[in-house]
Amino acid sequence: MASTAISSNEQYNFEIVKKFAIMSLVWGVIGMAAGVYIASELAWPFLNFDIPYITFGRLRPVHTTSVIFGFGGSALFATSYYIVQRTCQARLSSDGLASFTFWGWQAIILLSGISYMLGHTQSREYAEMEWPIDIMIEIVWVSYLALYVSTIMRRKQPHIYVANWFFLAFILATALLHTFNNLAVPVSLFSMKSYSLFSGTQDAMTEWWYGHNAVGFFLTAAFLGMMYYFVPKQAGRPIYSYRLSIVHFWALSFLYMWVGAHHLHWTALPDWTSTLAATFSIMLLLPSWGGMINGIMTLSGAWDKLRTDPIMRFLIVALSFYGMATFEGPLMALKDVNALSHYTDWTVGHVHSGTLGWVSMITFGSMYHMIPKLWDTKMWSAKLVNIHFWFASIGVLLYITAMWISGITQGLMWRAFDQYGNLQYSFVESVAAMHPFYAMRAIGGMFFLSGMLMMFFNVMMTVRQAKRESAALESKLSAKMAKAGLAGA
Amino acid sequence: MEWLSWFASPENTKPLALVVLFVTFVLIVYFVYGDKKRGERLESYKHMPFMDDEPESKEEKK
Amino acid sequence: MFNFKHEWIETNIGLLLVLTMLAISIGGLVEIAPLFYIKNTVEKVDGVRPYTPLELRGRDIYQREGCYLCHSQMIRPFRDEALRYGHYSLAAESQYDHPFQWGSKRTGPDLARVGGKYSNEWQVAHLTAPRSMVPQSVMPNFPWLVKNELNFSDIEDRMKSLRDTGVPYSLTKSEYDDNVKKFGAQTAEMLSIPDARKNLIAQAQSGNYDGNSGSISEMDALVAYLQMLGTLVDFRKYDDDAFVKYR
Repeated sequence: MASTAISSNEQYNFEIVKKFAIMSLVWGVIGMAAGVYIASELAWPFLNFDIPYITFGRLRPVHTTSVIFGFGGSALFATSYYIVQRTCQARLSSDGLASFTFWGWQAIILLSGISYMLGHTQSREYAEMEWPIDIMIEIVWVSYLALYVSTIMRRKQPHIYVANWFFLAFILATALLHTFNNLAVPVSLFSMKSYSLFSGTQDAMTEWWYGHNAVGFFLTAAFLGMMYYFVPKQAGRPIYSYRLSIVHFWALSFLYMWVGAHHLHWTALPDWTSTLAATFSIMLLLPSWGGMINGIMTLSGAWDKLRTDPIMRFLIVALSFYGMATFEGPLMALKDVNALSHYTDWTVGHVHSGTLGWVSMITFGSMYHMIPKLWDTKMWSAKLVNIHFWFASIGVLLYITAMWISGITQGLMWRAFDQYGNLQYSFVESVAAMHPFYAMRAIGGMFFLSGMLMMFFNVMMTVRQAKRESAALESKLSAKMAKAGLAGA
Repeated sequence: MEWLSWFASPENTKPLALVVLFVTFVLIVYFVYGDKKRGERLESYKHMPFMDDEPESKEEKK
Repeated sequence: MFNFKHEWIETNIGLLLVLTMLAISIGGLVEIAPLFYIKNTVEKVDGVRPYTPLELRGRDIYQREGCYLCHSQMIRPFRDEALRYGHYSLAAESQYDHPFQWGSKRTGPDLARVGGKYSNEWQVAHLTAPRSMVPQSVMPNFPWLVKNELNFSDIEDRMKSLRDTGVPYSLTKSEYDDNVKKFGAQTAEMLSIPDARKNLIAQAQSGNYDGNSGSISEMDALVAYLQMLGTLVDFRKYDDDAFVKYR
């Protein structure tokens, strides 16, 4: 057993996967804790404590950056390095470059968080990092692309597995989006401040082209890559339809880039652009559901495992939320629905049914599958995995239910007229009406965070257990050797 | 760059895009699902994740 | 028909990269590139001008505190929004906004036309302690804004980099003359980079936004910015549906 572990360590670079996996959990805990805190600030504003560094406006990007790029990003680095090596049966082409992407990425997330709290922001949602950090991202990202492509070039297979297509699309798209959305003129070489190159309408369009495709490629395509490997592995059967994956890969890559302008319905953006985006958003339902169906049909052959295997539960719930969120999305992209939903908490709820329901759940499932394999042991507590599943599920449900109710209530209150044709409610009445739902959302977040903490603890204990096991094995082995040596003498 | 404005009016672009995208879609679906032999060949690649040489779990290793 | 095989793509990383790049590039190109060339993306209206040095610093502070996360600056063409906030926003009104601040969420109300709606005193009291003015508000207190002295040591650099992006701040005499033609002498004066410091101090002192004439605080700048939001275009000069064709 020890010999297989050693040989697989030589064959693959698992060290880098382990590092990213652990950091993903660390950022998950930090980012979700920040999320719970800002959610509580909205429910109980005294929590801002008059401290500039932790007011809602500065802490919110800390939350989004550490969950999207810290938790999600590190999980993607970990799983993509794992998958590319195992499906190509080749070691990462450069250990040094892999290490560079690790330290570079962690520094980026840390510096971003600190800089937001100090008030340095581009004020572009999900791209708040100021220009020096943007340059770091560019460098790390190009290294990632180079490492990924050069590893695929070393493959022992003629074919490149479909999971890797999705990861490649994600890496390329992120590079493209990041570059164009962050074009800015710095105030001076020694100033953190910069002004974006574009203004007004063009700037808004660029930002939401970025913003929605960060969802489309960072939070969807890449996690579909994860799905295309870990779902078949965990279910013990190949993907339901390889042909469906071809169709939905090309359709998804092509269609996603058109839909960003649905964030700008009814604004000063020319009508043709947002109509185009709405149309493509509807079409996007097809490839999205193509992916969902492919995943669910793969799992459907293993329903019996669903009763016993909590990892399978994570995966099936992730796919269900993916299907639900990608149905809700096109609905909200319709101009008439958007007139009600835009600017409200409904959008926030929608995003979280995608990020908590789909992204986090598929990550949890994949990590629980991958981590025991990386450390060559079993999860420390299978029971805790199961409890995590229930906490996470309850958390998501509370969260999105609260946001649905509050979002629709807000939308309706804003447009309500009394019998004389005057506005029925003042704005602050709508704010007051949100209070119970903001509290409920914060509680939902606490459930989700508790689950995340359980996972972190469970994984730490698993790593410790793995170390103990291998130490025990080694001493047993050396004792045997010594005995053999004595007998020989 | 004037020609770009032709595309900016919906009455031009809508039918054009409909035709182009629909034809592409039909071609792709026909390509992927139309030929049985091609289909079988494509499906044969889905076993890639299992071709990894490391045994799946401790139980199998023993 | 030539015998295309999807295997060509699956076994050739170069081809896979190129085709994926092609697939993901088209959407953005078609939707974004025309916005820079089609003339009616941004309509022509009188009155819109770049920010004065003080307003610019106020806008920087608006961004620093993350106001855009809870307040939009984009009024949509609906009856309720017209009653609540005023005339719907025009593209022209944010043509000098680097970056745009349209926002995506209204945890608080839209601010596109908040200028002039409340007095300076109200703004200062509200920003310092929102619940003292609006008991049900969930906005954080920003008590440090009145205490912090405004740093405008790099105001010229800030205006210069905005000038690089195309905002008509003037550095030379001929640029200044162009601004006089475009905006009138009074505004052109405010857009002159060499006079930025002088103009900033003068505006802060004459406006006395924070009620404390002694020093120039961050509050001065932020309130100056808030009080000009949405006030530049005089909609009485235009027909009700003058702007509909741009929609």
